[in-house]
Amino acid sequence: MNASRVRRFIAAALLPSVILYALFVFVPVIWSAYYSFFNWSGIGEAKYIGFQNYAELIRDSVFWHSLKNNVIFVLASILGQVPIALVLAILLHKSNALQRFMRASIFMPMVLSSVVIGMIWQYIYHPQIGILNFLLDALGLGSWKMQWLSDPDISIYALLPPLIWNFVGLYLIIFISALQNIPSEIHDAAKIDGVSGARKLFTITLPMIWGTIQVAIILCISGSLKSFDLVYVMTKGGPAHATELLATYMYNSTFSTYRYGYGSAISTAIVLISLLFIGTSQWLTRRKAD
Amino acid sequence: MSNTQVSSQRIAGSRIASLKSWGQGFFWAILLIYALLTLYPLIWLIISAFKTNSEFFSRPFGLPEVWHFDNFVRAWKSSKMATSFFNSVIVSVVSLVLTLLLSALVSYVLARFKFRLKGWTMVFFIIGMLIPIHSTLVPLFILMKQMSILNTYWALILPYTAFAMPTAIFVLTAYLATIPKDIEEAAYIDGTGLWGVFFRIMLPMSLPALSTVTILTFLHSWNDFSFALVFISKSTLKTLPLSISMFADGFQTDYSLTLAAMTLSVLPTILVFLLFQEQVMKGMTAGAVKG
Repeated sequence: MNASRVRRFIAAALLPSVILYALFVFVPVIWSAYYSFFNWSGIGEAKYIGFQNYAELIRDSVFWHSLKNNVIFVLASILGQVPIALVLAILLHKSNALQRFMRASIFMPMVLSSVVIGMIWQYIYHPQIGILNFLLDALGLGSWKMQWLSDPDISIYALLPPLIWNFVGLYLIIFISALQNIPSEIHDAAKIDGVSGARKLFTITLPMIWGTIQVAIILCISGSLKSFDLVYVMTKGGPAHATELLATYMYNSTFSTYRYGYGSAISTAIVLISLLFIGTSQWLTRRKAD
Repeated sequence: MSNTQVSSQRIAGSRIASLKSWGQGFFWAILLIYALLTLYPLIWLIISAFKTNSEFFSRPFGLPEVWHFDNFVRAWKSSKMATSFFNSVIVSVVSLVLTLLLSALVSYVLARFKFRLKGWTMVFFIIGMLIPIHSTLVPLFILMKQMSILNTYWALILPYTAFAMPTAIFVLTAYLATIPKDIEEAAYIDGTGLWGVFFRIMLPMSLPALSTVTILTFLHSWNDFSFALVFISKSTLKTLPLSISMFADGFQTDYSLTLAAMTLSVLPTILVFLLFQEQVMKGMTAGAVKG
């Protein structure tokens, strides 16, 4: 096998993928940054306006409100999905049939389309025919009833249960895999040393899966920053931008109000914010030696 | 130790033991309730789909008096579900095949060969995983408009494949690296070419990893909404999630129709999940667990 045949093979194997990937993943991000310096309605001429879009972005209260909502999502994921999944994983990592059933039940929402998830919860939250308000009435807690999705003050928080319901299963399985990867010698050593229960959890088990917890946090952040489908289906970012997320705002700016340049600026901002969050979280959760 | 001491110790011991198992039983009951609560929205959806509109309003919690199977027939016809099912199948299957082929090739090269730009190539594909896909919606829209492939199957197949590649390459490279080199070398000595080794040896041997990638990719393409929303506007090309979302516009008052449509749309994925639970769960978390 001569070297040049091998080289040609490598090139042939890599080229189609590299081109496809560069064209559909990298080029758009760079193009987006390029368009963000223009004023463009999608048709006709694009007018170069320098950093004006970004200047407007910084003054745009809807942008900051959207960012705040994204942060709420990220925090809910890190403080909600991850701990719940961790606790469940520690309890459910054995292999009997009951535990398998419970794991599968908790994971089930992951295979559903976000459209269906959004619509199911829309019906649950419906002020007149929704089962949440119905249940509150039946329990005599009628005064707690609210317009879950159309009250600007609480709608963003009402979006958190569907989000958690959707993703807890993913983190559950990730953590279970990590827990099952802990070598049995560690458990044996702990037994011999007499370490068990809560002390074992905090001094041995958790540190051993810390790498996976870090990855889970990254997934939470990038996933929450990507949230679009769920919110778009349930509230479209309303009422009056109360539940607007960066991604929905970008979508609305571009395709509803035909401000492609401004939408591109928001797009680019999303990428930068994403990298910032991930970088910060990695730095905050770093450990000195591994 | 006298007899009475021993037996009272035994009684105390067994009391503690039975307290402990009471505690444990209580514990498992709570967990089971949690699991069932998680399933409840889905169960509620399916049961409600059999009700009439008035039943849905008046008794949202009960079982339907009459099981209206015709809701499903109406939903299938009115939302042209046959078409959207078909579109979803085409788009998901083609992007799956493309993803498997292209990613396997790349992974083979990355796992078994040494070459100058190898490190950079890996970084190239991994970095893409950090890019929020919605940042690419606008430019991809413009790009595909200029390539005149908007409102075609390719408008979805190509992006789905491109975005599925990083994870696929990640999983496949890890797996291929574990195959012993002797097999390849024996094949080369026999005169099999590079392409032959790839197609006749590497691909068949990586079946487990390929099935993991299949589950991940297929589910993501099948359930995708954002790309379909932006890149497809022709109603004959709508995929399933997109056509279901038409019911969510807030003006729909025929709830039994909507619920039946939703149930029909989740039936395939739930069935696949029930049949292949362990593989689906492992597949979807592949690449996230270190080591």
